[in-house]
Amino acid sequence: MEIAIDIHNLTKYYGDLLAVDRINFQVKRGEVFGFLGPNGAGKTTTQRMLTTLLEPTEGRIQIYGHDLVQDPMPVKRQMGLVPEESNVYTELTAWGNLMFTAKLYRVPAGDREPRARDLLETFGLWEKRHVKVEEFSKGMRRRLSIAMAIIHRPSLLFLDEPTPGLDAQSARAIRKMIRDLNAEGTTIYLTTHQIEEANQLCDRVAIIDHGQIAAIDTPEHLKAAFQKVQSVEIALSPDGGTHGERLKTLPGIRQAVKRGDKWRLYTEQPSALLPRLVDYAEKQNAEIVSLCTLGPSLEDVFLQITGQEIGAVQHKTKTSKGKIRKGGQ
Amino acid sequence: MSRGWITRLQDEISQAWAVAVKDVRVYYLTPPMIMFGLMLPLFLFFSFSIKREIGLEIGLARLLALTTFFTASSAGPVIIPLERRVGTYDRLLTAPMSLTTLLLGKTLVGAFFATLVSAVPLLISILGLGVNLADPGLLLISVPLASLAFSAFGLVFASIPTRSVGNIMMPSTLVRWPLMFISGIFIPLEEMAPWARTLAYFSPLTYAQDLMNHTVLGKGFLNPWIDVAILPLLLILFLIPAARLHHRSRVLGY
Ligand SMILES: Nc1ncnc2c1ncn2[C@@H]1O[C@H](COP(=O)(O)OP(=O)(O)OP(=O)(O)O)[C@@H](O)[C@H]1O
Ligand SMILES: [Mg+2]
Repeated sequence: MEIAIDIHNLTKYYGDLLAVDRINFQVKRGEVFGFLGPNGAGKTTTQRMLTTLLEPTEGRIQIYGHDLVQDPMPVKRQMGLVPEESNVYTELTAWGNLMFTAKLYRVPAGDREPRARDLLETFGLWEKRHVKVEEFSKGMRRRLSIAMAIIHRPSLLFLDEPTPGLDAQSARAIRKMIRDLNAEGTTIYLTTHQIEEANQLCDRVAIIDHGQIAAIDTPEHLKAAFQKVQSVEIALSPDGGTHGERLKTLPGIRQAVKRGDKWRLYTEQPSALLPRLVDYAEKQNAEIVSLCTLGPSLEDVFLQITGQEIGAVQHKTKTSKGKIRKGGQ
Repeated sequence: MSRGWITRLQDEISQAWAVAVKDVRVYYLTPPMIMFGLMLPLFLFFSFSIKREIGLEIGLARLLALTTFFTASSAGPVIIPLERRVGTYDRLLTAPMSLTTLLLGKTLVGAFFATLVSAVPLLISILGLGVNLADPGLLLISVPLASLAFSAFGLVFASIPTRSVGNIMMPSTLVRWPLMFISGIFIPLEEMAPWARTLAYFSPLTYAQDLMNHTVLGKGFLNPWIDVAILPLLLILFLIPAARLHHRSRVLGY
């Protein structure tokens, strides 16, 4: 398998602040590689180093065998970049933005217009091609910034959090686009703090926190490796605060966390726990309102790996920034 | 190999041109550009020249020196921090072109604005006020030459790692105003005390003013070809610290 990105002991200090701490990984050609971590973990810093925008303090980056510091030009030609903020020229039209980027990347003159048209149609922006981008919505800008990143047909595409802040439909459209690009052979480096997104899109995921990589594996393996964070969810009636203490004493339960009117019980063997729970409810004279087993979510895997308290995060808030920080902030 | 080298050069020239054309289209009517590029040189001209009895030609030569100096050196400091703030600068930095090409593209932008702004008083003087230029041919190259050098001068400040126009305008004003006062722009070089003249040689504006005196009035203090030679040298000289500061931004993360 050919290696697209190979980094060795990559380190970045901002003054005294250690943002990225001697990380090592490889991205294979043709894969979707996810770079997953909470806010401030060092994801953007890493991506900026990989795209020549930031100079590493230490370490080495090779892309397609070229050292990025010594010999960036052949790499730059093959690289597309979608940054955290959609960096489009708001004073230009969508068409103007695409034409400028095409010139910057030396797309042959005869190819510029057909490619731009193609992209604008794919991205649903063709009707708006002569509208100044300052009138575009956030989702439209993001789509345009992706179009601008791929007009030179890069073989390696970097995306820094492409979906937060977009509605579900736009986010889905962008994920589909990433899948399509990958199916056509583009290697994708996807920075995200959304576990579900990484789960859906990535062949392999690196988990970074505090500038260090906690794990690199397929989403499936990461799940399997953390059987510990499987759980059973139970709702009891009458529901009382004392259930928690008593449930914890049942064999096989690592932790009991209250979730609204339900208790989430973390265990390595959910099926073995079910009969015990039925027993428990009978003894307590309580009725089981609902009972279900939950597979390990990447979210719990994440908390497990980064040594945080499992269950500290509610499912609904998993995408909101700042909630996954250590200690809950 | 030489074929590759020529293609590469063609690429870089087209890229610098694309950057310049884009900047002109995007920024020509933005308030800071009008403020620092158009109002400031006019303001300086009128506040220091209007009350004194100076001839029309002397006034024109001085105004041309002022517009090339202030307009050209304002473009970079207005545009680059704005581009850094909205992140479009990253687009230019990651594009497959050398930093020199990017800086040359940005130099062209300022030179274009300054030439445009200079053309207005020039045309008014010639067509409306009947001024006769001593050397119109030399003037035709002098204005762009001076504009290019001063545009590169502006890039030195524009390259300071920051995202705020204010953080750049402050040091650039602190440097440009004294350079204006020590230059031969308000007192002709031949009337200066020797020490003051020595000091004047440290101001890039001195050479532009002397050149404008040659082209408009037909007399200057230095040999005009010395001025013509020094301005492109200054252009190269200014690009060096600009490139250094860009490197510094890559370390700091701007
Ligand atoms: N230019 C900078 N100067 C100083 N410190 C910085 C700079 N950029 C980032 N940092 C710090 O480096 C650390 C890593 O930041 P980084 O932006 O890489 O995180 P991230 O994983 O992308 O977070 P987010 O999910 O919020 O985008 C943070 O502590 C941040 O405050
Ligand atoms: Mg980030």
